[in-house]
Amino acid sequence: METKSEIFSQRLVKAVVWNITLQISLAVVLVFFIQVDLIHPISWIISTFNDIFSWKMALNAILLGLVSFFQAYLYGSYFSVPVPKYFTRFSMFLNIFSVQNIIFSTLYALNGYFTMSLYSSLAKSNFNILKKKCETYDGQCLAEQSLFLQFGGMWMGLYYFTSAHLLSATVLTFPHIYQEKFQQIKLVISNIVAMGFQHSVTPVIYYCIFYYVWGNKPRNVVSEVYSLYLEDPPLDNIFNLISSGIWIGLWFYTSLYFISIYTMKTVFNIVLTEPMKFPIEGDAQFTLNNALSQRLQFTGYLGAQDLKYMSLMDYARRSQIFTLSQPGGHPRNWNNLLEKCLQMINQFNSELDKMNNDSHSVEAENTHNRKTFNTIAPLTPPSVYSRSLRNMAQSPNLLELKDHNKNKVDDTFATAIKEEFKNFLLKLSQKPGINYFFGELVDTKLKFILIQAQPVIWTCEGLAYIVSASLKEDKYGVVQNDLPIVLSTLIYLKQNLDKLTKAGLVPRKHILNDVLAIKIRNALLSSVKRSLYKIIMTFSKFIHEIPLDPDVQIAIQSFLSCKEA
Amino acid sequence: MSIFSGFPELPNPEETAFCKINEVYCCGNVRYGNISTFTNSTKNHPKINVTKDLHHHRLSDENISMYVDVEDNLLKKITSVWYKQGFVEALSVAADPNVNRDSKTLAITASYALKVANLFTALRYFMQPHLKDIGPKIVSKYSRTRNWGSAPVKCIAWHPHTTKIALATADDNVRVYCSEVSFVSTLKCKAQGHVSSLSWRPYSASEIAVGCEQGVIVWTVDPNSMFTKPSSSNAVVLKRAGHSPVTDVSWSPNGDLLISCCGADTSMLVWDVAMETAIPLRRVAGGGIVFARWSLTANKIFAATSSIIFRVWDTQSWTPERWCARGCRVVAACWGPKDVVLFAAKGEPIVYALNNTGLMNGAKTSKAQPVLDVTKVELSSGDLVGGPILDMCWDPSGRYLALLFEESHIIAVFSTTQLMMQLSVTPCCFITGIENEVPSTLAFQHNFTDGACLTIAWSSGRIQHFPIIYTDGY
Repeated sequence: METKSEIFSQRLVKAVVWNITLQISLAVVLVFFIQVDLIHPISWIISTFNDIFSWKMALNAILLGLVSFFQAYLYGSYFSVPVPKYFTRFSMFLNIFSVQNIIFSTLYALNGYFTMSLYSSLAKSNFNILKKKCETYDGQCLAEQSLFLQFGGMWMGLYYFTSAHLLSATVLTFPHIYQEKFQQIKLVISNIVAMGFQHSVTPVIYYCIFYYVWGNKPRNVVSEVYSLYLEDPPLDNIFNLISSGIWIGLWFYTSLYFISIYTMKTVFNIVLTEPMKFPIEGDAQFTLNNALSQRLQFTGYLGAQDLKYMSLMDYARRSQIFTLSQPGGHPRNWNNLLEKCLQMINQFNSELDKMNNDSHSVEAENTHNRKTFNTIAPLTPPSVYSRSLRNMAQSPNLLELKDHNKNKVDDTFATAIKEEFKNFLLKLSQKPGINYFFGELVDTKLKFILIQAQPVIWTCEGLAYIVSASLKEDKYGVVQNDLPIVLSTLIYLKQNLDKLTKAGLVPRKHILNDVLAIKIRNALLSSVKRSLYKIIMTFSKFIHEIPLDPDVQIAIQSFLSCKEA
Repeated sequence: MSIFSGFPELPNPEETAFCKINEVYCCGNVRYGNISTFTNSTKNHPKINVTKDLHHHRLSDENISMYVDVEDNLLKKITSVWYKQGFVEALSVAADPNVNRDSKTLAITASYALKVANLFTALRYFMQPHLKDIGPKIVSKYSRTRNWGSAPVKCIAWHPHTTKIALATADDNVRVYCSEVSFVSTLKCKAQGHVSSLSWRPYSASEIAVGCEQGVIVWTVDPNSMFTKPSSSNAVVLKRAGHSPVTDVSWSPNGDLLISCCGADTSMLVWDVAMETAIPLRRVAGGGIVFARWSLTANKIFAATSSIIFRVWDTQSWTPERWCARGCRVVAACWGPKDVVLFAAKGEPIVYALNNTGLMNGAKTSKAQPVLDVTKVELSSGDLVGGPILDMCWDPSGRYLALLFEESHIIAVFSTTQLMMQLSVTPCCFITGIENEVPSTLAFQHNFTDGACLTIAWSSGRIQHFPIIYTDGY
């Protein structure tokens, strides 16, 4: 979709600009501190200024810009695609060697190499050149320390890539309150610097071990290619390595590299997660409804977040929702919004349903399916029509009929063979060794669903706020018509979530081991309950006048008496 | 003319006030009187008297000397001190020649190390003087509870939606009393020490945040559960380096965010409790944040620092408006309807009102208006009332304001009315304790439909519910 990429890429560009400014200021600070000369402060400042405005710095700035564009591309491509799903160890393992990852790892290695050489050139060390003049012979010698550092740069790039992208999922987390950008950066910058220096210790140690074992190979290759002599004691000897002191340099530059990459990450997070105000009606592409309809995409996140803030604090836009269309007098804004919200919640709900039904009996499955019909069916047709019309068009009978027809057509010999083959695969995958690699991992599916729950959380809360605000602000009673469906959807989601948490009832398959997923599950459950409480308490005096299904009514009782944990 | 002259007279010494019904001040005999002769509105309220079931096991800082000293070997002594009181204390034990008689070299090394450590702490206190006090001292310094360290009830909190009250007792247990069930849930875990504040989560029946020395403990107590002592697996401890001791916790009125403040930390933390993440809110100047109060609509937050500066944060943009109190730090503040906030500075007998800060009237020159002067006076009965304010409480409908004074043992309740942005305060009634009781802390019930119900914790451990009932005719 056009809008999606537009918002996202605009923000990416903005983030890159922010990033370049920040990185350059970091570099300036570095130059300033490296030239420290307390005895001659004036010459210190003058030389700093000379360096800052020299062509070398400009060149570096261009290089920094390139690197940061490059990082933006990498970072952006992680968030523009939905989280990949792998449910078996084998697919996880295969995924490590995907083309994308191979390209990215090369890019990261180059990134590390460039950043390192950039900072080392700013620090006025001559580790950027592999050759130097021999002291004892006549000719060119290899500066092994430069080689050590340059290889180190690539190593760090790869190290960061593996630890941040391969071994852990990259999820864009939205902060629960959004302060001004500058404030946010101010709050985290000292933390970033400290973290950079701490986190760079382990990769340096790994690299030193690596160089001790393998270091002679790249050295030999490089010295042969450039036909250079070896003069200094080789660095793949522990004593030489330590006495040369180059490891301190490596640690320092690695820290700088990490600081720069963490800064980049923070800046991107700050710029990308900035709340955005979508208009309620108007130009078709940018409305709140459109944003909400893309649940798994970036715009969907922004839309859901905006829905929450809008229904909580924005009186003007809220009143726009409660208005009737002119001409016609239909509550079009509200209907569209409700449709999108319920669609999002129901989609999530049916995913959970599938999970829950995996382990339940067939009978239970049937009742659940019937339930989903009740909640989903009235939503799909455009809600402009009157209620009775919708129901007729989308009656469950009709759907059954369709299903029946389909089954007849597909019922051929091919399906039988397919079925047989599936069974064979299923049996095969039960074997112990094979099961380890090809068996479905216990909680990954649930984890996968839960990690994408953030927009659902916002939508539930937003819906609850707007519904409870309607009691006072909704002049035409636009919202009250739809109270039953909102309540039953939320109750149903709550019941589905309860199945995942109630002790003793949860099948082993659904017990979560992942900390993040557990937290998200709790956050979701708590926000659904809060939303229900909010609506039910606001309408507590009139709750018995709302036409509700008996089982929803029963479920509501515990909220009414404030007994729902 | 003091405002106190408009109050009804104090009851006789053998009588006490029970309630106020439609302008009638109802008193009864101390021993035989009963509130049920006047009203049934608090019939189902939990009857609480803390001292009876209070445990005196807690080893507080004062009574350490009561225990007989047992001669341990040196290493054991040092490690135990290290474990309990920290590294610097352990160093001072090792350096102390009276304790450490065996190893001279250790004593000398320790004394030098101690000197270096002292140098660093001196430097740190020079840079950040507000950090000087430690743990319970900070809490008791900033607490709005009278004699926080020794009172049987440290703080109380009403549930926003049901008749359920939680109180923190002197042994740092949190007890939850409910109108419907007869048993009391006691919340206690190892991390819960020096409880400073309690806050129930709105739109939830089960969650309560407890501010204590280590951080914030959020308990989830299932209202249907029959356990009187829920295990600590129901508690989540939220803590962060440098954010200790917590002096105040408060939930947003929507129940989504939790703010914790620490008198020794310059930033207040906004928690997303389910995800256990915190975002600090900080601005230059002002010292530690002592307490924060959400406005009833969740649009604003009043944050008082340990200096004269206080801030009113806007919760949409999360930017503060900075204000200065005149003489001393703000000691108590409460929000009422229409985003009006009342506050009082320490050591001053005046209540100020701040309405629609900045935004409406645009001008930055707007000042806080003094709305109530409670200078100390002697009543005709000889009792003193008024003076510097210790704590104040506004009932959720904004009709009654209760004041607790530093130097007087009488609680004064005022009626407040808001007409055209103008707040008028008129006398309502006094509440006194029985015999020598002193009020420790107070709170208004949130879901009292007949009027307002003020709950007072007395120094004897008695909890009194004082309903103020009005029907529309009056």
